[in-house]
Amino acid sequence: MSAAQATASRAHPAGEGAGWGPGEVRLNVEQASYAYAGEREAPLFTLEATSFQARQRELVAILGPNASGKSTLLRLISGALAPLSGRVELDGAETNRLDPRTRARRIAVVQQESSLLFPARAWEYVLQGRHPYRRALRFETAEDLAIATNALAQVGAEALQDRWMDKISGGEKQRVILARALAQQPVLLLLDEPTLHLDIGAQVELLQRLRQLAQENRYTVVVVTHELNLAAEFADQVVLLHRGRSLRVGSPAEVYRQDLLEQVFEAPLEVEIGPAGRPRVIVQGNRSEDAGG
Amino acid sequence: MNFRQTNGEARRSSPGEQARARPLVRPYTGFCTLAIVALTASGARAQGASPRPAATAPPVQQITDEIGRRVSVPQPVRRIVSLAPSLTETLYALAAQERLAGVTDYCDYPPEAQAKPKVGGAVNPNLEQVVALKPDLVLATRSINRRETVQALDRLGIAAYVTDPRSVEAVLASIGRLAEVIGAREASEALVAELRTRLAELKRQLGARQPRRVLFVVWAEPLISIGRETFLADALRWAGAESVVETSQDWPRLSLEEVVRLQPDYLVFASTHSQAEGQNFEAFRDRPGWRNLEAIRQRHIAVVSEAINRPAPRLVDAIVELARQLHPEAFPEKPETRNSNGETGMSEKTATPEREECCQCAR
Amino acid sequence: MRPVTLKRLAWSCGLLLAVLLAVVLVALKLGAVPLSVSDLALNLGRVAIGRSAQLPSEYRLIIFELRLPRILLGILVGAALSVAGAGFQALLRNPLADPYVLGVSSGAALGAIVSLVAAPHLTTLGPLVTPAAAFLGAALTIAAVYLLGRRGGQLDGGTLLLAGIITASFLSAVIMFLMTTLSGRDLRGMAFWLMGDLSTPPPPSTLVRSVFVGGILIAVGAIYTTAADLNLLLTGEREAMHLGVQVTRVKLVVYIAASMLTGLAVSVSGAIGYVGLLVPHAMRLLFGPDYRLLIPTSALGGAIAVVLADTLARTIAAPTELPVGAMTAMAGAPVFIYLLRRRLR
Repeated sequence: MSAAQATASRAHPAGEGAGWGPGEVRLNVEQASYAYAGEREAPLFTLEATSFQARQRELVAILGPNASGKSTLLRLISGALAPLSGRVELDGAETNRLDPRTRARRIAVVQQESSLLFPARAWEYVLQGRHPYRRALRFETAEDLAIATNALAQVGAEALQDRWMDKISGGEKQRVILARALAQQPVLLLLDEPTLHLDIGAQVELLQRLRQLAQENRYTVVVVTHELNLAAEFADQVVLLHRGRSLRVGSPAEVYRQDLLEQVFEAPLEVEIGPAGRPRVIVQGNRSEDAGG
Repeated sequence: MNFRQTNGEARRSSPGEQARARPLVRPYTGFCTLAIVALTASGARAQGASPRPAATAPPVQQITDEIGRRVSVPQPVRRIVSLAPSLTETLYALAAQERLAGVTDYCDYPPEAQAKPKVGGAVNPNLEQVVALKPDLVLATRSINRRETVQALDRLGIAAYVTDPRSVEAVLASIGRLAEVIGAREASEALVAELRTRLAELKRQLGARQPRRVLFVVWAEPLISIGRETFLADALRWAGAESVVETSQDWPRLSLEEVVRLQPDYLVFASTHSQAEGQNFEAFRDRPGWRNLEAIRQRHIAVVSEAINRPAPRLVDAIVELARQLHPEAFPEKPETRNSNGETGMSEKTATPEREECCQCAR
Repeated sequence: MRPVTLKRLAWSCGLLLAVLLAVVLVALKLGAVPLSVSDLALNLGRVAIGRSAQLPSEYRLIIFELRLPRILLGILVGAALSVAGAGFQALLRNPLADPYVLGVSSGAALGAIVSLVAAPHLTTLGPLVTPAAAFLGAALTIAAVYLLGRRGGQLDGGTLLLAGIITASFLSAVIMFLMTTLSGRDLRGMAFWLMGDLSTPPPPSTLVRSVFVGGILIAVGAIYTTAADLNLLLTGEREAMHLGVQVTRVKLVVYIAASMLTGLAVSVSGAIGYVGLLVPHAMRLLFGPDYRLLIPTSALGGAIAVVLADTLARTIAAPTELPVGAMTAMAGAPVFIYLLRRRLR
């Protein structure tokens, strides 16, 4: 172990939830709702009162079709929006009441894309994650650099350190973006449709890594997605949204009922239980074709 | 590997490390900053220092120039810089050219003036050149020179005298006053007297004739004429003409329509040669707008030398020249004429009501 | 990894300061009246040891009353415009933003002209009215361009530039109109406002000069405190917010400070163009895009650029003086086109 790692592991007393599996509750979403001011043509959009809790080391999937309010819920959790009613608390503090700096030390939001105006190298990008810890008018310390390097290592992108962000592939970029979030040393990690532009291999790899990071770094991870099988395979908890309402909250096995899923996704679906006990969703072909069922 | 460290227990870089990171380059940066600051500070100090060694302050004469500024002119005036062609001419006429240290690029009369050191244009003279010539006095006019130039000269502690004659009489008075300032009074008295005599003679010759209605064209495209408060307007009156343009702006830009409405009897142009070639006039004659002017159709064009533009002694020559063209019948005899370029010769002009004069209309 | 450290900052600034010193010395030497290096050294030496009274009077005049004030003004104006340009580029997330291109300089000029026209009625407020009016003109213009440059509620790069260019030309037209119809007044002339001129230092009143210098220093300092935040702002406002940047506050600070810098610079030297575009880009190429380096290096680089441009302007066609804005435009416009094409590719 390096000196930094040794120091780090000594910093945490064994009493803090040692071992694997979800720890104590960190994120508490209690009857949180939201409504956007209506624009001329778009109808008033609401997220009706939604509740769930997420624990340390847990991966929660917010699942639903497009325009079901998933992103809105995520923004409420991230503190970017203030709930119209109800509350969103992280370790007891309301997320939208936190000042941006404190919030950035606890909550990291992983973007889908990086939009850089001027070309930057991967390490520069990741180093931006240290901004919430920066002292005024000071530059990054050696410790910041070590943390950034660690973050890149944790996502398996150490080799990409000196590469230009606009020259690496989508999957590689996704990892660097994730590394930046890790550099923030958050408690809560939020991702909005992270698998959108990735191929299936990269999707699986990402979610595996997220689970692993959740365990190792004791994060609470909340992922917004509409990928049914990925959510089923990797999530500890699923929040099923449909048109702004949360229909069901629970483990994948509890949430993945055929009637519910068919209602939400408006497609002929079949649910079976896989070998590990996790549900698997199969899209049924043309109903008229399998006459025998 | 456990990635989590709470910030409070994080290892900080030791003061020793930070000190080592502070580079030797610091003194180097400091030196450069210091150098620039020192330069500036000493500059400020130098500005604050007294302009000359206190022991001998040269005598000055306090005068007020023609735009009301109080000027301290050092005596005697040994070196003069002129910022306007008219002032250069006047200095030569006052036989003060020995003391003329610098002129503008446009000071072309008399031709010897072009050999003098140049300071740039009249509108934008180069102050460094002016300063380098070490003038006791700088001469400027309100109409050609800019206020900023005079203000800059004030700031530099160089005496600047500004003239602003608004009539022919004022031009003569201005010449006289200028001569007083530079200490050439005797020369001016004779000069001014002669000019006054010629003007009086002209007035007599013109008698009670009706003044011609004229348009004085400073520039053809765009069409620029003169306002009523300029000395040019007064010069026209002396020449038996009246400008049709009624405005207090000094150099009004006119529309051709307006001129067509006014229908002046004559168009007056200033050019460097009184005997102008004919090619431009023909081109002019057919242009829209211009061809609607009676003056063009009847070829009532008068061309006088550039001297009419300058409030200098030659102005009178130009006035006489213009009068001869506008009222030829008032000058039946054919004396030795001296045209405005200083050439003498027998006049070939006959008293014809129409004149085939062409114009080099663009300056 | 080559992160920005204090050491790097000090080295870059040190280097630029050395270049600036050299440029200042060259500028002192050159001019319509050439000074030999030995003469210059001798005279500067005399001044440095406090024997300035021994200087030949015309040297003293030329160096200290004509050239040095001009050079110092160039340093301040160059620094102000470059930092304003860097600020606008971050604020509007557009690398082609520049006070001149966006019409902010013209707005400042118009504000100053209006205050000069209305001056008789405002004399009680003293000589600070003009810079204040210029600041107001600058601030209003950038706000207008920002609002016009949005498309579907979002800032759009191309629309923004277009809005800026149109605003610039509209305001220039208004300035020309005022200059022509109010030609009798002491309004400094069209060439001054539209093309810049460093030959007239601010009035010798200590108040005005300290406000001018102090204002520029304060505004540059204010932008510098947001430098790290600006780095993040460039990646997007939402991302920056999630990384702990107080986006609204930072934008406000940069907006006010950059407008102040433009207003101060223009009120005293007219609209010198393209400095805010060229210098930050050159500094990015040389020292990297981190704003914690970019702000100080742009300030120094801008000083160098304007003093160079002004020296060229007054020596190339000696004894005639060209407007300094003509020099910067001749250098700036081709670079602007090149950058534009690179972006569109």
